[in-house]
Amino acid sequence: MARTVEFTDTEFMIAQGARLLQDGKTFFVGWGIPQIVAILGQRLYVPDVIQLFEFGAIGPQSVLPFVRGTMGGPQNTYRSIQWLNMNWAFAYSASGYMDYGMLGALQVDPYGNINSTFLGGTYRNPGRRFAGSGGGNQVASHCWKTIIVIRHEGRRFVPKVDFLTSPGYLTGPGAREKAGLPAGTGPYRVVTSKALFGFDGETKRITLLAVLRGLDPDDVVKDMGFRPLISKDIGEIPPPTPEELRLLREEIDPSRFLIGGEWMSASA
Amino acid sequence: MKIRREGDIEYRFEHPDDFRSFVREQKSRKAEPKLCSAKEAVSTFVADGDYIVYDFSSLTRGPQSLIREVIRQRRKDLWIGAEFTLHESALLTGAGCATRIDVGFLGYGGYIGQAVCEGRVRVYEWTNGGLALRLLAGARGVPFLPTRDLLGSDHMSASAAKVIEDPYTGLPVAVVPSLHPDVAFLHVHQADVYGDARIFGTNLFALEAAMASHRVIISAEEIVDPEEFRKDPMRTTIPYFLVDAVVHAPFGAYPGAMPARYELDLPHVDTLNGIRNEEQMQTYLHDNVYSVADHEEFLDKRVGARKMSELRRKASIVEGYR
Repeated sequence: MARTVEFTDTEFMIAQGARLLQDGKTFFVGWGIPQIVAILGQRLYVPDVIQLFEFGAIGPQSVLPFVRGTMGGPQNTYRSIQWLNMNWAFAYSASGYMDYGMLGALQVDPYGNINSTFLGGTYRNPGRRFAGSGGGNQVASHCWKTIIVIRHEGRRFVPKVDFLTSPGYLTGPGAREKAGLPAGTGPYRVVTSKALFGFDGETKRITLLAVLRGLDPDDVVKDMGFRPLISKDIGEIPPPTPEELRLLREEIDPSRFLIGGEWMSASA
Repeated sequence: MKIRREGDIEYRFEHPDDFRSFVREQKSRKAEPKLCSAKEAVSTFVADGDYIVYDFSSLTRGPQSLIREVIRQRRKDLWIGAEFTLHESALLTGAGCATRIDVGFLGYGGYIGQAVCEGRVRVYEWTNGGLALRLLAGARGVPFLPTRDLLGSDHMSASAAKVIEDPYTGLPVAVVPSLHPDVAFLHVHQADVYGDARIFGTNLFALEAAMASHRVIISAEEIVDPEEFRKDPMRTTIPYFLVDAVVHAPFGAYPGAMPARYELDLPHVDTLNGIRNEEQMQTYLHDNVYSVADHEEFLDKRVGARKMSELRRKASIVEGYR
């Protein structure tokens, strides 16, 4: 009889993100959830990944349990290879040294353009304000492959974002290059609490690649404000593994400040 | 007038020759003692309408005691260059000190986001890279610096960043104008009485801000002999002739942490993060700023020796901070 695993939507997104990384690569880590992804990934899958924080920490090996809200603090920048400052951190990404970037998003559009600045209203008179770019715009502009992490709620997938904070493929093929962004960069994957998306090579449109075990791809796609392209062979994503959950719950974030969220289940 | 307007976008801008004149005529190169109280430093060097920047490393090494003094002296109409808003900008906004913020990252949520939506503070959206680059341009003495980010984003219409054609490749590149703040606030591990200063660990833009700003106020955990800098020049973050005032402020980053000195005070930080409305903000400001005469009284009456001992003990990570 199949065992059922229970986990939060956040735990699932973090596990997905950690599994995407390649070892021996550099990883520009955005504030918040991406930090947990980096820690989990480095422990389980990519021990030689080199993290970078915009605070100027090159190769940090964050102390556990994770201390939130203070990315530049001693626990999070622990035992880095190098400590610098912000202009130098962005020099590394701008001159081509950063392989992966990972960013959270409030909204994403069909070309992977991200909004993390405001919702509703206008820039001058917003309905609700959020943190905005931080270093996100730099990450999405410079890194070779940006991974977007976003909760799977219909209202987050919009035909047009309220504010274009961090660039995806802008208006489609060739648009990044035309705008002057570095050649060969752009969004690579979108990790959600239900699915994994990539980007079609030709059209640069967001493409469904896989869904969480037990979910119907049609339901996943219906819960989006635009219709994505759909891969011919939709993969099945295993839920968080026992080891992933153990690390997250016992070592990384036992207080569940970041890994908490909506509970879900899937067969193990 | 140092404020330029293009449509409804305002930006602080100073001609490089004007800043250079200021540096030649009004910044002293003499090694003279500059130790003073926070009260004296702020009343001498911080005026209404000033553009200010502060350096830190998230909830670590922020010039919190200096910011509290600015609030205590009820400065008005300040414009903040906030790579991260976090606590400093939220408090300055809540106290009615700040009217404009150049934003890199408008965190933490709650209070500051609401203040923006209610129109109590006006923001311009530069991104972290954009704002840091403005200070680098100021330090480097040029009117702008180019970058290959910001392009294609809505920051081009929410800030004074522009796009030009690069003369060497023909590529579109973004450019940001230089920034010369009126005052930079930095909290450091060690300083001497002349203003030589050392920061251990990462910083946002400590040297850029110190060079590009008209006045630099440093608060230091520890005052050391000037010989220390001569013996170990690689560890000097800021040389004395960029600095206008030195304040001896142990626990000056409280409630934030100071690497290898004291840990952050989580309950106090949670209180700050939890401020959601005017009543909570005014209560916090009354309790922690207006009802105490200075940082020493704040530590004595609001923090206490036991708490300070506890936070010192908890700062167990010392590697790299020497």
